[in-house]
Amino acid sequence: MSLSALLNEYGGMYLRALLNTWRLTAICFTGAFIIGVLVTVLRVCPVKPLRAFGVFYVQVFRNIPGAAMLIILVYALPRLRILLSFEMCVIVASVLIPSAFCSEHLMSGMNTINPGQIEAARALGLTFTQMITRIVIPQALRSTVLPMTSLCVSTMLTTALGSQVSLRPHQLELTGVVNYINSRAVGGIMAFAISAALYVMTALLIGWVGARIDRKVRILR
Amino acid sequence: MSIQTASDVPMIELKNVNKHFGSLHVLKDISLSVKKGEVVVIIGPSGSGKSTLCRTINRLETIDSGEIWFDGAKLPEEGRELANLRSQIGMVFQSFNLFAHMSVLDNMTLAPTSVRRVPKAEARAEAMRLLERVGVGDQAHKVPAELSGGQQQRAAIARALAMHPKAMLFDEPTSALDPEMIGEVLNVMTELAREGMTMVIVTHEMNFARRVSDRVIFMDGGSIVEENTPEAFFSHPRTRRAADFLQSIQK
Ligand SMILES: Nc1ncnc2c1ncn2[C@@H]1O[C@H](COP(=O)(O)OP(=O)(O)O)[C@@H](O)[C@H]1O
Ligand SMILES: [Mg+2]
Repeated sequence: MSLSALLNEYGGMYLRALLNTWRLTAICFTGAFIIGVLVTVLRVCPVKPLRAFGVFYVQVFRNIPGAAMLIILVYALPRLRILLSFEMCVIVASVLIPSAFCSEHLMSGMNTINPGQIEAARALGLTFTQMITRIVIPQALRSTVLPMTSLCVSTMLTTALGSQVSLRPHQLELTGVVNYINSRAVGGIMAFAISAALYVMTALLIGWVGARIDRKVRILR
Repeated sequence: MSIQTASDVPMIELKNVNKHFGSLHVLKDISLSVKKGEVVVIIGPSGSGKSTLCRTINRLETIDSGEIWFDGAKLPEEGRELANLRSQIGMVFQSFNLFAHMSVLDNMTLAPTSVRRVPKAEARAEAMRLLERVGVGDQAHKVPAELSGGQQQRAAIARALAMHPKAMLFDEPTSALDPEMIGEVLNVMTELAREGMTMVIVTHEMNFARRVSDRVIFMDGGSIVEENTPEAFFSHPRTRRAADFLQSIQK
């Protein structure tokens, strides 16, 4: 099909798919971010078993392919009597995997903090929690805006897992919509090119926002 | 028998303190008592354990044996009590260590508001007063990297003072500064000493040490080799090692 024919017939679906991809990306990145911060706090806390758990968590989710993760969620969880909708399975997979990478970025961000500042915080009488929340995490975040921007893009790409489960037509995201169209008509490469263009456009937008935030919060040294 | 008054209790007291880094014996049976209002300068060659000694006083470094007392109480091992004790001891580092992501003013108010629960407005007013006092009031809204080294160190001193510490520890506060900025920091410290602050100062500024200190401690190889008045120490040191050290830095 030609571009104009595709857009004529499926333009509305593409638009909805774009919005779904945006929605999934926002939800998953936010979730990954929050979990990533918490896991990172565990990885540096003074309690050894919690540190070990943090490391274990990251090793597990950093090394599982998204598709494998999805299979586990879709086929294994029901055996444990945990029933998640297909969409929820996609969301969980697209939260857990990026959360491990988020923690990795934060750990490297922490390494940029001069240890003298940690000592100064301790010398002033700050507790561990105060030091983490007021000094360590804020600086780690400010120095990792650009890697986090890439993580946001890769989270968006991970949400393409949505194409591997059967979502309702109104739930389809940008990759799923291509499958949907190609199963009904011969959309060919063009059907995919439209989604690809929308992915690229979104990635550029995320990159632009990230660069602006980075310029604003970057720490002068 | 005389009644012990609070002012008889030393502000800082180390009793037979030993510390190792692996097989390296960094502090060898150190005993030292600092009275309230006293200014003690620690001098000695690099690697002699001066920083380590200074850092054991607020337990940034743990010790292997011995005891450390601060204002009549033994140092807590950890947790909130240790944090509370640390908040009563100001510390100034060679590399300033201001929090890089905060304005100078926020550096000043962080500990008072979060550790002491001082209301924000009050903490800010106090911070501005202290910053004016050390001569960097006009830098309050900048981030540390925008200040010169001397300004950063004066702000760091003010940050420690904002907690109203009972004593101050200085670990080579001017060693990272360009020569023209050393004076401004030493002036602030001199003024503090005049006001009766209890101070332990590791420094290589001999003129300052002579002028401001009540007592000089000379360390070498992890031991206190000589303890003397500044006058006597700088004009006729008792020990050979101190004499050699003074000779070596004279030129
Ligand atoms: N964290 C550490 N781990 C191992 N060795 C250390 C550590 N800190 C200091 N040292 C060693 O302990 C000795 C005393 O160091 P320090 O107290 O910094 O001396 P000074 O301040 O007098 O130069 C030095 O030999 C130094 O290399
Ligand atoms: Mg030192």
